[in-house]
Amino acid sequence: SGVVDYPRGALISQTMDPVEYTLRKRLPRKLPKRRNDVYVNMKTDFRAQLARCQKLLEGGGHREICVHGLGLAINRAINIALQLQASSQGALQLATNTSTVELVDDLEPEDPDETGEPMTRTRNNSAIHIKVFYPDPQ
Amino acid sequence: MFTGCQVTSAHSQYLSRDNTGIYPGLDVNRQMQIQNSGSMAMCSVYQGQTYNPPVQTPVVNSVPIPPKPMPPIAPPPAVKLGQEGFKKVCRSEEDSPSPFPGLPSGVLEMRVKEGSKIRNLMGFAMARMQGDKGASGTEGSARGLRQVVFSGSGRAVTKTITCAEIMKRKVGSLHQLTKLRYKTVKEVWENSEGGASEMTVHRSVPSISILLSKDPLDPTEPGYQPPEALSALWEEREGFNSSQSAACKRPPGPLPYSAAFPPGKRVCLGEGARAALPPL
Repeated sequence: SGVVDYPRGALISQTMDPVEYTLRKRLPRKLPKRRNDVYVNMKTDFRAQLARCQKLLEGGGHREICVHGLGLAINRAINIALQLQASSQGALQLATNTSTVELVDDLEPEDPDETGEPMTRTRNNSAIHIKVFYPDPQ
Repeated sequence: MFTGCQVTSAHSQYLSRDNTGIYPGLDVNRQMQIQNSGSMAMCSVYQGQTYNPPVQTPVVNSVPIPPKPMPPIAPPPAVKLGQEGFKKVCRSEEDSPSPFPGLPSGVLEMRVKEGSKIRNLMGFAMARMQGDKGASGTEGSARGLRQVVFSGSGRAVTKTITCAEIMKRKVGSLHQLTKLRYKTVKEVWENSEGGASEMTVHRSVPSISILLSKDPLDPTEPGYQPPEALSALWEEREGFNSSQSAACKRPPGPLPYSAAFPPGKRVCLGEGARAALPPL
């Protein structure tokens, strides 16, 4: 799988003189994915992701779907879940859980003389998991 | 996955559940307009009384009649208003009832704003929670709080979740209850050039409230999260149960240090039994 290339040599050199690094973000760990898992991102169109969730609930015959969001996509995931609930006229309910995900960045020295050594930096990011479901009839 | 996470607590202390008004989606009084837009806000625009359109007479505050026909769903994003020369005068949140039923009143509520520093928030909250753990009873006394609520809306949602996660990590075994809903925020924009026009915007933003409690909560409540149960979330789903049991420390069959003994002096030890070895 590919890695995202974020050249940020100028910014990093302020904190980590004097060697400039290229920052590469590693993708988060392999995500388990059932049919009713939807992972929200900031690249795909909002309407398309919303329509995909609606199709799973109505046509797909799933009684529940799980909407996941990481970092900046948390807001979008919440919006999708709340709008699904609104358009269901109160038939759908939400159950929300939160978690922390570890992300690893690979830092490679930009200088071809290799005055620095490749390092990795770990940081944490928040994630949200919203279960959108039809409650069991009582 | 979620059904596997439910842990029924052995304690008999649950929050009393009030079945009315838990689910914000059932609030039929609120007008939910579905707007498929890239921006996060849905809002309706009311023209204030100082707006003077060239054709019509000025409108009194009581009846909001827009001067030209506007679609019922018209969210002007803040960026567009800023570009048109409008400056935000003030912004106030409309208070809505607490989404947690049966919550005692002596609970610390941390309102996370977009510009809040996590360092400051956590310093305050941790001091209150860990101050005096000797507090007894579920009423929140002045020291050693048992429950805290983090709430935030709009761009502060991610920060709210981060604060809750940090607290869960520092203060272990906290029960969590998370609620999502829309919050209406009233903004007043003023035209910087003319100074005569003024706009009041009602914006609906997503908002989150996270209750963290040292006492057990109702596990059947949607949004309940038992302490430290999601470490296996990113593992294989099928192996969730088996990985949990494998993580427990269990003595392996053959004793690990039996190979270190010289063959001549190998002593036959029982399972976990300690045998007194002859001094070498």
